[in-house]
Amino acid sequence: MGSAKARPSGRYSVAQAQPLLPDKTFIIDNGAYTMKAGYAPGFPPPEDEENALSGCTAIPNAIAKTRGNRIYVGAQIGTNVTDWNEMLFRRPVEKGYTVNWEAQKEIWETSFFDGKTVRSKDMHVADPEDVTLIFTEAPNALPALQKNADEIIMEEWGFGGYFRCVGPSLNAWNEVQLLFGDSALRQPESAISPTECLLVVDSGYSHTIVTPVYKGQPLQRGIRRLDLGGKHLTNYLKELVSIRQYNMVDETYIMNEVKESVCFVSNDFANDLERTWKGNRRRGQPDPGEGVVVDYVLPDPNGGKKGFVRPHDPLLGFKKRKAVLSGAGAEPLSEDVLVLGNERFAVPEILFTPSDIGMKSAGIPDLILESLSVLPPALHPAFLANVLVVGGNSLLPGFMERLDTDLHQIASAEYVVRVRRPKDPIRSAWLGASRLATNKEELRKIAVTRQEYQEHGSAWVGRKFTAAL
Amino acid sequence: MYHVEVLPNTSTSHATPGWTYVPDKGFDPAKAAITPSLGRKRGIRDPARTDVSSRQANAIVRHLAELDRENHRDVAISIPPRQLKDAAGRGTRTKTTSNVRRILQSQKTFRNYLDDEEAALAQAASSATGATAAQRLSLNKITKPSSSRRSSTPATTPRPDPPTSRAKKDPPQPQKPSSADNIPATVQQDTPQQPESGLIKSQYDNDPLLKSYTPSAPSARIMRALLSEPPLTYNASRAGPPITGKSTRRFCCICGYWGKIRCRNCPQRTCGIECYKVHEDSRCGAFF
Repeated sequence: MGSAKARPSGRYSVAQAQPLLPDKTFIIDNGAYTMKAGYAPGFPPPEDEENALSGCTAIPNAIAKTRGNRIYVGAQIGTNVTDWNEMLFRRPVEKGYTVNWEAQKEIWETSFFDGKTVRSKDMHVADPEDVTLIFTEAPNALPALQKNADEIIMEEWGFGGYFRCVGPSLNAWNEVQLLFGDSALRQPESAISPTECLLVVDSGYSHTIVTPVYKGQPLQRGIRRLDLGGKHLTNYLKELVSIRQYNMVDETYIMNEVKESVCFVSNDFANDLERTWKGNRRRGQPDPGEGVVVDYVLPDPNGGKKGFVRPHDPLLGFKKRKAVLSGAGAEPLSEDVLVLGNERFAVPEILFTPSDIGMKSAGIPDLILESLSVLPPALHPAFLANVLVVGGNSLLPGFMERLDTDLHQIASAEYVVRVRRPKDPIRSAWLGASRLATNKEELRKIAVTRQEYQEHGSAWVGRKFTAAL
Repeated sequence: MYHVEVLPNTSTSHATPGWTYVPDKGFDPAKAAITPSLGRKRGIRDPARTDVSSRQANAIVRHLAELDRENHRDVAISIPPRQLKDAAGRGTRTKTTSNVRRILQSQKTFRNYLDDEEAALAQAASSATGATAAQRLSLNKITKPSSSRRSSTPATTPRPDPPTSRAKKDPPQPQKPSSADNIPATVQQDTPQQPESGLIKSQYDNDPLLKSYTPSAPSARIMRALLSEPPLTYNASRAGPPITGKSTRRFCCICGYWGKIRCRNCPQRTCGIECYKVHEDSRCGAFF
C-alpha cells in the first residue's frame, strides 16, 4: 500500500523536476601526488590548449612535515618550504584511491574552501551549493571507498551537482584526433563529444593503468593495472644510491628531484649498460660513459642552493684533494655529488621489465596487449592506432620512443601503431573534464544534483555512476 | 627452455582418484613454509631451475613492499589544528552527518578496505545459493585474469559476426544502413586499415592476396553489452604474467652491470671478481 502510494509521486517528481545543474563546474582530478583542480571555462572552450589549461593548477596532495617539525598542507609545500631534507609526507590518496578523508578534507579545505588560505580566487569554492563538482577516481575502485567519497562530498560540502568518474576516460574528450594527426571531424559550433576509440596508458605516481575508452566510457573488462609507478621508481633509485653511494633513505623528496632530472628510458639497454660499466674504461682512451654518466650536485639548504646536474667529471676527487693540499678555497669541498651511471636508465626500466626487480608481472607494452586480448579483435586496430600516454612518468625522456618500439615489435604487423602524448600529460584528464563540462546536456545526463542525492541516497548515486551512463 | 603450464580446470569434480592437477598460482607464503627448500648444491648443479626458492620469493615480496612505502620511517603526521577557522569556514553549511563523522574518524588503510572487500566477495561466493550469487561467481570466473597465459581471444569474448559472412562485402562499404547510430562506420574511420570512402574500383578487388582480413567492427549491441559490464575487482584487474617469454635478466648487486657470477652462499649475483669481493665482505648472506 505504502509503496503503491510512493511510486506515482516519485515518478511525478522526476518528470516534473529534472532540476538543473549549477552553472559553474569545478573539477578535481584527485591524484596521489598532485591534485589537478580548477573551474571549467565556459562554452565554447578556448581553442588554445594553454589558454584552456590556465584555469587548472596542480597542487601537491599531501601534508608534509619538515625535520624542524613544521607542518605544511597542500600548496604551501610548493612555496613555503626551503629545507627539503628528511621531509616526511602523509598522502590521503593511497594506491591511487582516496582513502583517508581526514587528511583529504584538510587539504581540500585549505586549498579550495577556506577563503583565508586559498591561493587565488580561481581556486576558491565559496559556496559549493552553486557549483557542480567533477571528481575523478582510479579505475577498479573499491565500492566501499566510492561510497565514502560520495557521502562526504555530498554531505560535508553539499555540492549542487556531482559527477564521479574514472579519470583516464576523461582524456577521450580532448582533441586527440589532432594529436594523432587525423583531421578533426567535429564541426566548430557543435557540442564537444568524446573520441571514438582511445587506449589510455596512465602512468602515475602509484600505478600504471591501461584503460580502453570507447566513446568516452571505459571498457571495464580491458582495464589492466601494473602496480608500479613514479613512487616505486623514486624508492628504487633511492635504494640503489643508498647501497652504492650515500645513505639517502630518508630523502624521498630530493631523490624524486634527482629522478626527474636524470632518469631516462633507454632504447638500447644492453649498449647503455656496457657504456657505464667500469670494466670498459681504459686509461688513455675516451670514457665510454661520456654522456651517460652524470654528476648530480645535491642541494645545500644552508647555502640556499638547489640541486643540479652536470656532466660527470672523473677527476673530481683528484681535484678536491689537490685543492685541500694547496689550501685553496673550500668551495668545491662543500658540495656533495652523486655519480649516476646505470641507475639513470635501470630505474625506469622496471616499468617495461618488472622482472628486473623480481616482479612476475607484465611490463607496459605487454599490459597493452593483455588489455586488448579480452576485447573483440575488430577493435584492436582502432585502439592500437590511438594509444595516448598520460601521467607524470611519460615525461621521462625516451619513454615514448621505447613504448613505440616495443609495441611495434609485439603487436601484429598488419596494424598501425601510434603512440602519442598530449602536450601536458599531467593535466590532460582535467582538460578533458573541462571540455566535458561545456557539454551541459551530456553532463546533466550523467551527473546527479544535490536534490537527487538527498532524495535517493548514496547507494542510488553509486549505482548511477557505475551502471547508468 | 621447456615450460609446463597447467590451465585452470573448470570442471569441479575430478574422475581420477588420488591425484589432481593443481594450477600453480605462483608464490604463496603460506605454502612456502611447508615445501622443503632445496639445498644450495642442487641450485648450483641445476642452474636452469627458474623457480625461485621460498626465501628469495620472500625477499622479493619484502623488497616490493619496501618500494611501495611513502616514507622510509613509519610516522604519524597529525592534522595541524585550525584556530577558529573551522567554524568560520563551515559558515552556512549544516552540521556534520553521521556518515561524515564515521568517514572522517575511520583510520582504515587501503589494505583494510581491500581485505574487507575480499572477505565480502568470498562470502558471497561461498553462499552461492541464490541466482545473484551464482551470477557474480560466473562473472568472477570470466573476468579474473588467471595466472595461466591467455589466448588472444578467450571464448568469453563476444565475437563479431564471423568474417566469412562479411567477406563478400569486402572492402567494406563506409556505411551500413542497418546501424542507426553509425557506430561501425566511425570505428572504421579510426581504423587505418580500412580504405577511405570514395573507393576506386579495380580488377584486383577480389584478389585473395590483397584482401584485408581485419574483422568487421562489432555491432552496436555488442558494444553496449561491453560498456555495461560492471568493473572488475581490484585484484582481478592486476597485470598478468609477461606475455613475451623473455628470460629474466640478472644484475650485479653491487654495480648494476650484468650479474654474471652467482654467489656461493646467497642467491645474489655479481659482475666480476671485483664486485664479488665487495659483496663477500659486506653484504653476503644478508637477506633484505
